[in-house]
Amino acid sequence: MTPWTPRPGPLVALWLLLLAPTAAAQTSAGQPGSIVIAIGEQPTMPIPTLMEGSAGTQGNIELADQLFLRLARLGPTVLTAGDRGFVPLLARSWSRRDSVTLAFDLDSRARWQDGVPITARDVIFTFERARNPAIAPRTVGLLRHITSVTAEGDHRVVFHFSHPYPEQFYDATFHAAPLPAHLLDTIPPEALGRSGFVSHPVGSGPYRLVRVVSGQFLELAANEDFFLGKPKIGRVILRVAPDPDARINLLLSGQADALDNVVPPLENIQRIKADTTLRLIPVPAPALGFLLFNQKDPHNSTKPHPILSDVRVRRAITLALDRQLLIHAVFGSYAEVPFGPVSSILWIRNGAPQAARQNVAEAKRLLEAAGWRDSNGDGIRDRNGRPLTLGLSLPTTSAVRRKFAVLIQEQLRQVGLGLELQQAEFPLWIERRSAGKFDIDFAGTIQDPSPSGLTQAWTCTGGTNVTKYCDPLVDSLMDAAIRGNAKGDPSRPWIAVLRQIEADAPATFLYAPFYVYAVKRRFRDVSIMPGSSWQLVREWSESR
Amino acid sequence: MSGWLLRRGLQAVVVLAIALTILFFLMRAAPGDPLARASESRPLSTAELAALRARYGLDQPAAAQFVAFLGGLLHGDLGVSIEYGRPVTGLLAERLPATLLLGGSVLLLNFTVGLWLGVRQALRRGRAEDRWLTAISLVGYATPSFWLGLVLAWLVGIKLRLLPAAGMQDPLLSFDASFTVRVVDVLRHLVLPVMTLSIVSIAATMRYQRTAMLEILSLPFMVTARAKGLPEREVIWRHGWRNALFPVITLFGLWLPILVTGSVFVEAVFAWPGLGSLAAAAVWGRDYPVLMGASMLVAALVVAGGFITDVAYALLDPRVRLA
Amino acid sequence: MLREAWTKPQGRAGALLLLVLLASAMIGPWFLPDPLAQPDILAGSLPPGLGHPFGTDQLNRDILARVVAGARVSLSVAVLAVGLSATIGTAVGLVSGYWGGVVDVGLMRLVEGALAVPRLFLLLLVLAVWERIPLPALILMIGATGWFATSRLVRGEVLRLREEAYVRASEALGARRRHVILRHLLPNTLGPLLVAATLGIGDVILLEAGLSFLGLGVQPPTPSWGSMVLDSKEVLVSAPWAGIFPGLAIVITVLSANLFGDALRDAVDPRSA
Repeated sequence: MTPWTPRPGPLVALWLLLLAPTAAAQTSAGQPGSIVIAIGEQPTMPIPTLMEGSAGTQGNIELADQLFLRLARLGPTVLTAGDRGFVPLLARSWSRRDSVTLAFDLDSRARWQDGVPITARDVIFTFERARNPAIAPRTVGLLRHITSVTAEGDHRVVFHFSHPYPEQFYDATFHAAPLPAHLLDTIPPEALGRSGFVSHPVGSGPYRLVRVVSGQFLELAANEDFFLGKPKIGRVILRVAPDPDARINLLLSGQADALDNVVPPLENIQRIKADTTLRLIPVPAPALGFLLFNQKDPHNSTKPHPILSDVRVRRAITLALDRQLLIHAVFGSYAEVPFGPVSSILWIRNGAPQAARQNVAEAKRLLEAAGWRDSNGDGIRDRNGRPLTLGLSLPTTSAVRRKFAVLIQEQLRQVGLGLELQQAEFPLWIERRSAGKFDIDFAGTIQDPSPSGLTQAWTCTGGTNVTKYCDPLVDSLMDAAIRGNAKGDPSRPWIAVLRQIEADAPATFLYAPFYVYAVKRRFRDVSIMPGSSWQLVREWSESR
Repeated sequence: MSGWLLRRGLQAVVVLAIALTILFFLMRAAPGDPLARASESRPLSTAELAALRARYGLDQPAAAQFVAFLGGLLHGDLGVSIEYGRPVTGLLAERLPATLLLGGSVLLLNFTVGLWLGVRQALRRGRAEDRWLTAISLVGYATPSFWLGLVLAWLVGIKLRLLPAAGMQDPLLSFDASFTVRVVDVLRHLVLPVMTLSIVSIAATMRYQRTAMLEILSLPFMVTARAKGLPEREVIWRHGWRNALFPVITLFGLWLPILVTGSVFVEAVFAWPGLGSLAAAAVWGRDYPVLMGASMLVAALVVAGGFITDVAYALLDPRVRLA
Repeated sequence: MLREAWTKPQGRAGALLLLVLLASAMIGPWFLPDPLAQPDILAGSLPPGLGHPFGTDQLNRDILARVVAGARVSLSVAVLAVGLSATIGTAVGLVSGYWGGVVDVGLMRLVEGALAVPRLFLLLLVLAVWERIPLPALILMIGATGWFATSRLVRGEVLRLREEAYVRASEALGARRRHVILRHLLPNTLGPLLVAATLGIGDVILLEAGLSFLGLGVQPPTPSWGSMVLDSKEVLVSAPWAGIFPGLAIVITVLSANLFGDALRDAVDPRSA
């Protein structure tokens, strides 16, 4: 039983064979007419009206944008009020008949990817699905102001609204991209999610889904007959790599051509800059990070929080933090300090005032006024025997929040407030959040382009308002802003909302970052739509 | 012998049944909600959450869910993944080849090269080669696998551009690429993850083999064998090595589940589409159906490992009495 | 026995290294800057230099100070937890292998069942009961869930050893079971046992990092070697020192434990000299 002792010769030969760069493989990502994009999760349900709940992922949404066109899309200003911010897609033109009626004329050249023309019937069909609570409960809520969607002939769709408001156009176009009625109307509505259409979608967009290798990549091929012009890049590969470092490696090794966000860590900027084949493109991002204060006692929600129910303490926390320094440390120059719960994608931020700067003296004054003094000299204030210590609940999955948390802890200690970090794995953190079992929750959200999304978290009856923060004044201001007035700057009423929220101090709004995209320089005419990374890849070209 | 086999088979079934039942209820007792992932970036309202909960049967008491699970099991249905919305069996089947490839290669490498090096060390005990191999292998073992993986990916994949830095295949290979080209492509992607996992684990096989071999080498019967004038090679391998295999076999049985779980870190860092990362994500997301499916595979391998180990003991050393 | 281990040069080296590590963990913090301080956040990661022999991490905290401070957590968790696992594992392995029969079947099936259940869920369940887990409880939990492999390794050796002539002879002479186990079996199973313990130390340090990532174990900003290495993952290439130095600490600990363990085994089992 003499075991085989490996001989060097064959091993070396095998090694050389493996290392020898085969022409196709090594320069794979350099094939003309194709682009490889590294993404973080595999989209499995990129179908309009089905992207709810756990299917409402960014990956699904972005892929759906490639496969299914909307009537009109948002332009670079992301202005959701009125119609000036929109670019025609399936609808070639539109007209306003009266204050509650919009009519869209479909482009007669538009075709589904199987060649069938796109007609008004498809739009009607899609909105029937989108307004069906059994299929799309979330979208139903978003479309509640639309009273009817009717067809006039084959190419005109008329929307009726319950009342005049600035975002009628947005509501009619953004939430539901049309689906092919001729293929789907025979499938029972609730069964669409389990049908073959999900894995072999037929859309209206510039790219078709041709191949899925689960867990690895998806392949899109250009739609030759795309009515707005055949894309110059014939093949789009979405390469799946859940780990952020793996994605960076794919980019730097040349296996991927584009990546949607390289920071944090900030150090990646230098690494990308050192690679002369890559270009960095900062784009406004829909992300927002904030410290949410629980104003109720976490152990007994009928009682107010012993420390945080006092608005002076909450304002003191905001003033004690040097938010500019914090975002600089973590995001470099690629983030802003928000005024109110506004990410860098919301158009209302343009008129908003500056966020408050750090004012340690004022913070200390507020704490003193609230009765918090350091009576025993241990560096932490106290009042009636209770120390000024609070727990900060955060998920371990966010490296950004972990970094911020340590820095915030130090800054708050300077004003005599003790912060205890309570990292928890993601599901546990969510559970604590929903149950209100926290003092301060380090929250992060992804916002839709419309400011009306703020009602979810900041109104008395908002569905995601976990702390039940309730200010009737904010509610009525938001109502007024959503209704808008016919004249005047549409962002003005929203600024009033933001001012009132800041005055109430239900949270400290920490960061509104930009995403820093990295794209190979050989691609020209590169434009990236905020909130929908690769929607405009069809307009990109390559130079060789 | 067949009586023993039957008893072991029965025990295996019992162990599996009990372990899986415990696991089923343990999952649901642990804090964390499967629908937390659904709220990850766009928080859901309570109404939407309630609807989802009903759809996945999560609003039922745990016992009722268990009954439903067992019912499905009888039809070979492991349920539908909460995260992906697809049947669990399909998900597992998709990921299994990649995992077997990675895990199998690592096991192969470890239990050939590792054993060989371990014996070498024992034979050259105390000399420079022995010391160096000990030091290097322990450094490898104490190194976190993701760290080593990232270093290798950077060095070999980015700096030297010799091998791909991540992934399992090249998505741009043309449709008419030949079978050989595809195989070489996968092998090229396999090298770095296998190297990483092997380096961080080979110390184990080496140390155990070395230790065991050292014990055997000094035993009286080895002296006798040499005195009989047998060639050194035969003495070592034929007479000595068999007995030094016990800890190694135990290790093999313990490591068999690696075929399924792989290494979560290595799969992540190299974007290797294996079961390990699927299972890890299922843990984060409390995706109970996927977790049960993966755990069943792991449990089966654990039990199989124990079984193989015991059989191997008996084959190697006929004196061994097993229960 | 310990004295004999001391006489060997390797044993001395190993023990000395461990002592150095322990000493620096205890005394070091007095001489070094506060590991939790963040002098100049915007400066970020600095490479090793005059002011910072090991460089600084992403939040500009001195790495040398953090490595020394982290020794306290990492070493105590590793050594104590592994000690516990080794003890339980050996005991179970000895009993299971020597008694055989129903005892063996019962224990080994229990081990298999336990191996099939992810350690993670057991640990997470504890979180449901305790919001914050104090360090001693964490050590206990890690130790109590880490003995399965050791028990199988020890059992394997015992199965082989109990058929050896000298063991049979001892039994035939009427030696009590406890005598046989302690005198004949245990010393000869030390080989794999010590390997398991040594390797286990490295495993546990890294496990502790993974656990603190989940919210168990130490919370930031308290440093531990494992979490320092984990935190440095994203700057591995741009700031390699952030991960190298705590990693080195782990490696040195494993190496010195191994040296000491080898010497210990040599002292106990003269035949492997």
